[in-house]
Amino acid sequence: MNEAAVVAQSAAPYLLSDGVLAHYLFVSAAMFSLGLIGFITRRNLIVMFLCTELMFQAAGIALIAFGRYHLGEDGQSFVIFVLCVAAAEAAMALALVVLLFRRHESLSAEPWKELHG
Amino acid sequence: MEQFISPIVLYMVCVLGAAGLALALPRRGPNLVPLGAVFLAGAAGLAVVSMASRVGGFTLSAGGPGLFFYLFAAIGLGASVRVITHPRPVYSALYFILTIIASCGLYLLMGAEFMAFALIIIYAGAILITYLFVIMLATQAPTGTQRDLTDDTDAVAREPVVGAIIGFVLMGMISTLLFDGVGSLQTPERFDPDAVLADLPRKADRVLREADLIEPYEQVLRIEPGRAALDTEARTIVIYNERSDSTRTLGPDRWPDDLRATNLDRLGWNLLNDHPMTIEIAGVILLMAMLGATVLARRHIEFEEELKAEKARHLSPRTGRVGNTGGAS
Repeated sequence: MNEAAVVAQSAAPYLLSDGVLAHYLFVSAAMFSLGLIGFITRRNLIVMFLCTELMFQAAGIALIAFGRYHLGEDGQSFVIFVLCVAAAEAAMALALVVLLFRRHESLSAEPWKELHG
Repeated sequence: MEQFISPIVLYMVCVLGAAGLALALPRRGPNLVPLGAVFLAGAAGLAVVSMASRVGGFTLSAGGPGLFFYLFAAIGLGASVRVITHPRPVYSALYFILTIIASCGLYLLMGAEFMAFALIIIYAGAILITYLFVIMLATQAPTGTQRDLTDDTDAVAREPVVGAIIGFVLMGMISTLLFDGVGSLQTPERFDPDAVLADLPRKADRVLREADLIEPYEQVLRIEPGRAALDTEARTIVIYNERSDSTRTLGPDRWPDDLRATNLDRLGWNLLNDHPMTIEIAGVILLMAMLGATVLARRHIEFEEELKAEKARHLSPRTGRVGNTGGAS
């Protein structure tokens, strides 16, 4: 058994250390919170949907970081599905925005607060 | 948690960040964005210094995430802040593209090349352009006398202080839980990046043929359909000769450099082998979204009854009486 075979058996050279994983997760948490804050505070429907995309993006970073940490591809596969859901969400949300814009001639979310309850 | 960042520093980062963001969110009156930016930069600097000192500085060799990580993370988070604080939606969308490109940099650092470029093409290239189209479509043309192009919807945030507090409390909680949990994760002890090659006999055939290591009438031996007789640990390949119906073994010294599983090979294999049903479901979701978007965004056009009857008569294959088509509706 030669040198290359020994390297291939041990996972050590490929592993991500706990500290590095923590860095990526911190970025992901911060980006998710920023998306949430934007969703709460902004009043423009399109910016609100952009903020949900920001949260998807944060989830993607966390998934890829965990996938890299476990040395598998499942994280990356999940990001493909996150991308699918984000695309579907964008299509629906933008159709909805166009519909709502026709009703009130404004992108503000305020006229729709009568929908509560 | 203490091994990554001290809790006091984390809470200080959250408080500073919340204060900075509450100042930077759009409002009428004095422009406080520069002050908010100073607070946010302080929070980011505190987090970077505290976390980098625990993993051994900014260099890769010391076990840290490397300088590029900090660069892309700073660009990504800075652009995210701009997405939610910029008063004009078009600029928000453009800053979101910057966020995506920065996170693609992070993906590249983590060895997910395919996802990084797919993200740029799909997100920055397709989804965000659709957003830009809708922003352009759904914005009222400014009247001539109006000096300020932004109206209250965009220029005034709703409850910026409460929103920032909620967001940063959530961030503190998520980070605390994540940092606590990271220490107890299990990592695999053995890992072979080329292990998937045994499942890809045609790729092995092609690479060996391009490297002129096998004759046209030879191929990699299949143990069973779709499984190659290829040992990635000992780096040996068994070649099957169709003419003489015999086999020979290619040793580790003749293993071609090109014969390795790329990120795309492994991701594709994982996607199709482990999650085939999920792909179907994703397809159904996308189809439903397409139908839903079409139904939602169509415009109702009211025809008068006479016009409807005339159209129906026109479309009907039989030139029957009007009563036939009209009665059905």
